[in-house]
Amino acid sequence: MRFIRAALARIAGVFSKDTADDELREEMQAHLDMEIAENVRRGMSPTEARRRALLASGGLTAAADAVRDQRGLPWLDSTAADLRYAVRALRHSPAFTAVVVVTLALGIGANTAIFSVVRAVLLKPLPHRDGDRLVYLRQSMDGPGGADIDFSVPEIRDFRNGAPALGSIAEYSPWFGTLTGKDDAIRIDVGLVTGNFFEVMGLSPILGRVTRPSDDGPGVPPVMVLTHDFWMKRFGGDSAIVGKQVRLDGNSLTVIGVLQPAPWFPDRMDALANMVISPHHLSALMVQGRTHRMTAMIARLAPRASVAEARSEVASVYERMQRDHKDAYDPGSHYRVAVIPFKEALGERARLTLWILMAAAAFVMIISAANVANLTLMRGVRREHEMVVRAALGAGVGRLRRLLLVENLLLTLTGALAGLGIAVAGVRLLTALAERYSARANEIRLDAQVLAFTFVMAVALAMLLSFLASLPREGSFAERIAAGVRRLTGDTRKQRLQRGLVVAQVAVSVVLLAGAGLLTRTMVQLSQVNTGLKSEEVLTVQVPLLQMSGVAGTGSDPREVFKAVLQSDAAAKVRYDQMRREIVGLPGVLEVGVGSSTPLRASVTSFEVKAEGKSIKVGEATPRADFRTAAPEYFSAAGIPLIKGRGFAATDGIGAGKVVVINQTLADKFFPGEDPTGKRIAWTGEVLKFSPISPEWRTIVGVVGNTQDGGMDAPLRPVVFMPFVQELAMSGVIVIRTDGDAASVAPTVTKIIHRVAPAAPIENVMTVKQIKAQSLAPRRLNAALVSSFGILAVLIAAVGIAGVLAFSVSARTNEIGIRMSLGADSGRVQRMILGEGGVLLMLGLVVGVVGAFFATRFIRGLLFGVAPNDPTTFVGVAVLMAAVGIVACWLPAVRAARIDPAITMRSV
Amino acid sequence: MADKLDVKQGTLALMILKTLEGLGPLHGYGIARRIEETSKNRLALNYGTLYPALLKLEQEGFIKAEWRQSENNRRAKFYALTAAGRKQLARETREWHETADLIAAFLAPKREVP
Repeated sequence: MRFIRAALARIAGVFSKDTADDELREEMQAHLDMEIAENVRRGMSPTEARRRALLASGGLTAAADAVRDQRGLPWLDSTAADLRYAVRALRHSPAFTAVVVVTLALGIGANTAIFSVVRAVLLKPLPHRDGDRLVYLRQSMDGPGGADIDFSVPEIRDFRNGAPALGSIAEYSPWFGTLTGKDDAIRIDVGLVTGNFFEVMGLSPILGRVTRPSDDGPGVPPVMVLTHDFWMKRFGGDSAIVGKQVRLDGNSLTVIGVLQPAPWFPDRMDALANMVISPHHLSALMVQGRTHRMTAMIARLAPRASVAEARSEVASVYERMQRDHKDAYDPGSHYRVAVIPFKEALGERARLTLWILMAAAAFVMIISAANVANLTLMRGVRREHEMVVRAALGAGVGRLRRLLLVENLLLTLTGALAGLGIAVAGVRLLTALAERYSARANEIRLDAQVLAFTFVMAVALAMLLSFLASLPREGSFAERIAAGVRRLTGDTRKQRLQRGLVVAQVAVSVVLLAGAGLLTRTMVQLSQVNTGLKSEEVLTVQVPLLQMSGVAGTGSDPREVFKAVLQSDAAAKVRYDQMRREIVGLPGVLEVGVGSSTPLRASVTSFEVKAEGKSIKVGEATPRADFRTAAPEYFSAAGIPLIKGRGFAATDGIGAGKVVVINQTLADKFFPGEDPTGKRIAWTGEVLKFSPISPEWRTIVGVVGNTQDGGMDAPLRPVVFMPFVQELAMSGVIVIRTDGDAASVAPTVTKIIHRVAPAAPIENVMTVKQIKAQSLAPRRLNAALVSSFGILAVLIAAVGIAGVLAFSVSARTNEIGIRMSLGADSGRVQRMILGEGGVLLMLGLVVGVVGAFFATRFIRGLLFGVAPNDPTTFVGVAVLMAAVGIVACWLPAVRAARIDPAITMRSV
Repeated sequence: MADKLDVKQGTLALMILKTLEGLGPLHGYGIARRIEETSKNRLALNYGTLYPALLKLEQEGFIKAEWRQSENNRRAKFYALTAAGRKQLARETREWHETADLIAAFLAPKREVP
């Protein structure tokens, strides 16, 4: 009670300052008068009485200060005064203020922006209910396309029965279909889900309902749940959508709800539907085929079960599965299952890049802070005299420290404010980067927590800066004043600190530059990778016409479905041919070819493959190859070089013998040193049972060159091409080679396609050049960001070196004057100062190169074609830093050499 | 002045309360004089010590202040003990006695152990 009451009285005291001051003055005056009167009564002269009374009072002003401290919240009063003082002081040194604020703004802005991305993509809790209980299961195997091969229904059943720690399991099968609108059609990604899916995932609808177990099985009405993004994009957030019918391929589905915003993994989803739209998913083939892996698995851990328990249970179940079903797990391919917390899985592609960027930003912050610290130290030395005078006039060390703190807070918070401006712009840029790596990029916000991060950073920095400055020790004021102190070099401790900071700046800049250099070299290496295509002026357009599922009027009988698919395929091929004939007549078009997939993009379909008369060694992985089809003109239209034999011809028709063209990688694998033409290969493996692809022998008629499918840094994949007419059309891609700018024919081409197939979606209208640029874009942005951090760091460090040397020169003006009058010429003085800076620069370079040697190991995963300790990069970085550093030393050195001894000597 | 003692933290409040209990409402000068006299001039109270202490007691509600005419017709601020102040005085007096006894016992010459 007593404290609360006293506290309230104090707070009230803040507001009644003026009246209280008047009263206090009157009260003390009365005291004084009474004492004087008493003294006079005792027989003193009035003057003596007054003198004695004043002496006894101990100083009215000091007493009034003491009472004021007791009365209100003294720190508030004096802080306001400090703030006024700080604003005035900073206004008096605009250059210092500007440099500090800009430096801090850059450092804080970069950190804020990148932290907001790190938080959204890696740290923030998932929007799913108890999202930290979700784990993603990933089955993978060796070889291209083996990183994530999904699960089959029997495998999921085994885990459900054998791993109780997994609690409940949500399955979804990535599928796609053509959504037909009023006057257009688009291809959308649909997840086929079981009824318990949303319950397990912990996701709720924001409109309508989600699926439930009664939506499982055959014979139920087909329903669709829209994801939030797709609902906004396609339906403009129309809340009347629930209950409406939409057409997906041949099916009519009822939209039953819209899902809350949530990230998808491993692929983006537009909508979720129950399994009934795909008869295949309900067929015995799917439900019993152990190798028919097309379902992703996310589990919610059982209450109190840990990820470690889940891992060990999954491992033992998987071991048993591999023992019981040897044919489904070829030992050479090293099948394995990983249990990954869902949040980690969502962030895994972004993690390394983001932490590298965060580290780079932190480095920039360290350099900025060092620079600001140096500037503050120098300013502190210039103000030493002021501080001593203030201390002598009664300011305690604590009070001075607070004055500095207020000043530094003003600086860092202004810097932070400006930094937020930079961050707002930076976040937009970074979101574009993060979208390529993470499904959570749309969660990036400059929200309260990010602002708190920025604020804490600014305050911590201000405190650090305030305690760095040394203040006159209590009791030393009198001596200093008596000595008329006006030293400007500061004490040796401070100089050492300043020099240490410069060395640190140079060292950190070197580390950053090394990272930037390596990433830039990676970019250069990647852009020089040969795509394998002869021309970049090739336009590619994806026009999926084939309907693989839910063809109207079919039941769940597989044979009937298959017949419908074949009909759809035949109709599609007629249209492709018509499109080809019309496009080839366009001016500027040299050649047009049709195929199942786009050059330079990874094929989604790959199967096990075998060569006649060739057996695989024991323990070697079963060879796999990408499945692609090509019309006769495809190779030359796409610019894929023919190395041996022939390409496809019109004679390789539907009824003709099955022939294939393989790529160099597959040829080297099966027929090293032999001519593959005339040899035979065949698709193989259990999984063929689930596809319309026949396992018969096919004769190799030609070999084509390798192309960089799936990225410039992707390993080369073995590919088998089949005649377009002999297999299903799949996604359907038209490649168009032109004699000029391929992009310019795109509008006309799109128009023709739309006229021939009005209901077909037209996707990925891109030139080969654009595909290549797109695959390099995230790395380019990444390298550009780290490089700009590196350049920023070097510039700030250069300012740091120049500043410290200039300061040293101005402090040593007298000394230099004396040296010159004793015979040192300006060249010698210049060398002296250059030497002083050179030592710092060398030290920084050595520390930096050693640091970079260790630091660059962490970015190994982001490099391509260049080693983490690439000597060329390191030498280049050291030379660059040295060059900038020497220029930074030069200016103060030249200034020192221009000192006129006559003038300086006079002012000693 | 060198022979005068500084007022120990915490004791001044007790002295002020005791003074006000004995003499009734009193102004700052009166309190200072009284304390100095009682201490036989071993204590010297300057304004910077006295007035913050008075303000603190007032904030804590142990004393209350009022402007009145002084004996020689001058407007002065008079301080008076409140009920809470009386209780506080009793409590602090008791604590002081206890502390004093304790310290005395410690400082007393040790008796020989038989």
